[in-house]
Amino acid sequence: MLVLTRKIGESIKINEDVKITVIDVKGKNIRLGIEAPRETKIYREEVFLRIKEENQTAATSHQFDPSKVSQLMKDKIKK
Amino acid sequence: MKIETTRFGALDVEEKNIIEFPDGLYGFEKETRFTFLPFNPNVESPMEWMQSALSPHLAFVITDPHLYVPDYKLKLLEEDKKKVDLQPDEPFLTRSIVTIPENYTEMTANLVAPLVINPNKGIAKQFVLTSMEYDTRHYLLPEEMRTTTAIPH
Repeated sequence: MLVLTRKIGESIKINEDVKITVIDVKGKNIRLGIEAPRETKIYREEVFLRIKEENQTAATSHQFDPSKVSQLMKDKIKK
Repeated sequence: MKIETTRFGALDVEEKNIIEFPDGLYGFEKETRFTFLPFNPNVESPMEWMQSALSPHLAFVITDPHLYVPDYKLKLLEEDKKKVDLQPDEPFLTRSIVTIPENYTEMTANLVAPLVINPNKGIAKQFVLTSMEYDTRHYLLPEEMRTTTAIPH
């Protein structure tokens, strides 16, 4: 991993078009500003972990009766 | 082709009814082939099963998120569309994976990571939205229809 030290207000650039600036540091929190082309996808990393876990939960929680679930959905649509 | 399933027994599925997920799903990267089955053969339902063609025990419940969130926004970039072999203006299907806990009135849909399906080519991918607007556990039923204690099956 490349490790760089930056001060508040300083930036790093990735390729020509992505710029990440350290906006503020408060205790353990660092605020970053990111400038990138509109189509660049920027995620908080934890979202992938959450989705993995949700997929796992969805795959294993099947102790239900589909006809009861269907009935419930029908009732919902009626309302 | 023959598919062995824990829930539905042995199935004979035509190749055209197999949906390919070249990248698998998050946490299930090796699960690249699924087939969609009716949720309940006797009752019309907004849900479907998505059964793995590779692992007999693996099946997900899926639904169309637009039925619950009519203005659900999924903006696909051209490069996203290429990943499921979609032409720029070609229509696609959106599905969300549903989690059904023991108290099934509290079932939720994952709106952060929708499945995008190219129905003509049979190719699909689970995308992750960058927007913070949606939840991985969006309740499908309004609060007054959810019971707080587990109900018997």
